[in-house]
Amino acid sequence: MVSISNPYKPNIAALRKITTENDVNDIKTFEVVFEDPDLARSFRYTPGQFGMISYFGAGECPIGIASSPTDEGFLEFTIKKVGTVTTALHNCSEGDRIGIRGPYGNGWPIEAMEGRNVVLVGGGFAFTTLRSLAKYILHDDNRGRFGDLTVIYGARNPGELIYKYDLEDWEQRDDINLIVTVDKGDSGWTGKEGYIPTILKEAAPSSKNAIAAICGPPIMIRFSIPVMTELGFSPSDILLSLEMRMKCGIGKCGRCNVGSKFVCLDGPVFTHEELQGLPKEY
Amino acid sequence: MKIKIVDKKEVPALIDRLIERYRVFAPVDAGKYARLMEVASGSEACLELQNPKLSSKEILFPQTEIILRIKKGEEGLETEEPSENDKDWVLFGVHPCDAKGLVLTDKFFASGDYKDKPYMDKRGKTSIVGLACNHPRATCFCASVGGSPFGKEGIDILLVDLGEEYLIEILTERGERMIEGVHGLRDASDDDMARAEKMSEEAEKALQTDLPIEGLSERLEGMFEDPLWDKVHLKCVGCGVCSYLCPTCWCFDIIDEETSTGVERIRLWDTCQFTQFTLQGSGFNPRPSGKERMRQRTMHKFCYFPKEYGVLACTGCGRCVRECPVNQDIRETIKEIMSV
Repeated sequence: MVSISNPYKPNIAALRKITTENDVNDIKTFEVVFEDPDLARSFRYTPGQFGMISYFGAGECPIGIASSPTDEGFLEFTIKKVGTVTTALHNCSEGDRIGIRGPYGNGWPIEAMEGRNVVLVGGGFAFTTLRSLAKYILHDDNRGRFGDLTVIYGARNPGELIYKYDLEDWEQRDDINLIVTVDKGDSGWTGKEGYIPTILKEAAPSSKNAIAAICGPPIMIRFSIPVMTELGFSPSDILLSLEMRMKCGIGKCGRCNVGSKFVCLDGPVFTHEELQGLPKEY
Repeated sequence: MKIKIVDKKEVPALIDRLIERYRVFAPVDAGKYARLMEVASGSEACLELQNPKLSSKEILFPQTEIILRIKKGEEGLETEEPSENDKDWVLFGVHPCDAKGLVLTDKFFASGDYKDKPYMDKRGKTSIVGLACNHPRATCFCASVGGSPFGKEGIDILLVDLGEEYLIEILTERGERMIEGVHGLRDASDDDMARAEKMSEEAEKALQTDLPIEGLSERLEGMFEDPLWDKVHLKCVGCGVCSYLCPTCWCFDIIDEETSTGVERIRLWDTCQFTQFTLQGSGFNPRPSGKERMRQRTMHKFCYFPKEYGVLACTGCGRCVRECPVNQDIRETIKEIMSV
């Protein structure tokens, strides 16, 4: 009998740095390093893939990888405190150990994006794997392989904007067109105000030789897609990343089944065209 | 292919010989029903009972199993997989529908880049002694979904109950190995084989075969939005017994339990029939009502799985029909689908 490896066995990793991302303090970014130095060096992934994160004793949950493959030696996961596992993770201190399985899922189709203008549209906390993609594209080794990069990112209010440190960096660069908006500003806010679909319409990124990736709450996506369509983006050039409850991440536990697809294996990234061919059960 | 005969009174001794070399699981009398359990002696096995309440799934994909132990020590965390370095296993007296269930389970758990190690490890060392089904019940419909009461799929040795003795058909090399060194067998005569053949014909005749199944998968592909789903689920109470007893329902949950030394990571049966199965942290549930959940189960068995693996994910064992507390009948649902 051929011995097979156990796909349910997580790798142990240490929390090296924990950063609180928002004023409400329910979104944190965890910088993690695998205990096994060989694995820390050899771990490869694509922006848009996810990991199954364990807090031992609480359980496991799927979390998109927020760092970029160009960040060597560590991974980042940005996690909102919602349920049992994420609450346990939020209660962790730097140095604590967690488990990671993965990377899972298809990730953003990097090859299909090369040589094209890229438009990233993110809303709220769902910005995490788009941030991975933006960082990847902006890296010196990769920037030349992509055309113009437009990032439109919004949150409910200024306190809810995550990755402020990245946003500040990106503001300084001339190879990214960054548009940040909030639904409602506060006294110190001097930036844009307005919902993503409205701002998207106003910014009107060209669809010429362009491909777009959208992540956000369902309502934002619902109202953004018609705008993209109006701008001339075809369904095959609009990419979306689905969220589903998952237990295994490897197509066995049955939760993320949509039609004959499994979001964990066949997704989480689908083109709008692919989704039009699937049952509306996501 | 070798065909032998064993007197019924010799069967406990035959099982005892197997127990010397294997861990043997056989149907035992669990009171109101039969249950497949490990036997310490051949005399515990009851082959005369109806098909066990739970299928062989219970042994190879148990309702709960530890898939990982995490030890929390001074120097950090250590993960440890439960090892199964014991003898090979024999499942004895498995009905053809349940053997077929294992064949379908194999397809699923062995598919893709990630093999399901907890299942595959057990399955890889398991041989199957089948027991032909002489008396299909009113709820059985194996012949309608590509099976047979005397089916041999997934079976290493098939037993046929001839009354006073069993006909033993050795079907695979694994079967040969199992039977090596077992005494009390004699070669089957032409008359024995003719009797077995007659029983097979009678069992087939006793089965319901009028279930329209031709083209079911293709038909379902276009029926996701069909109004039929609004009504077929109405009497379902969502108890999930259909899935738990189904040999081809494999959905599971994974939970952690703390112990004195660390954590046990446990896999346990779950079902798409439960509300919380797909409930997301945000509160959003893509399958919020019985309608979506019954549609999912039906679609998975008769449309999605066949599309992927070329075969229906149903063995016709009839457990879901027999045990449903509100008499939901999958055969009626199929008929309704086919009459739309």
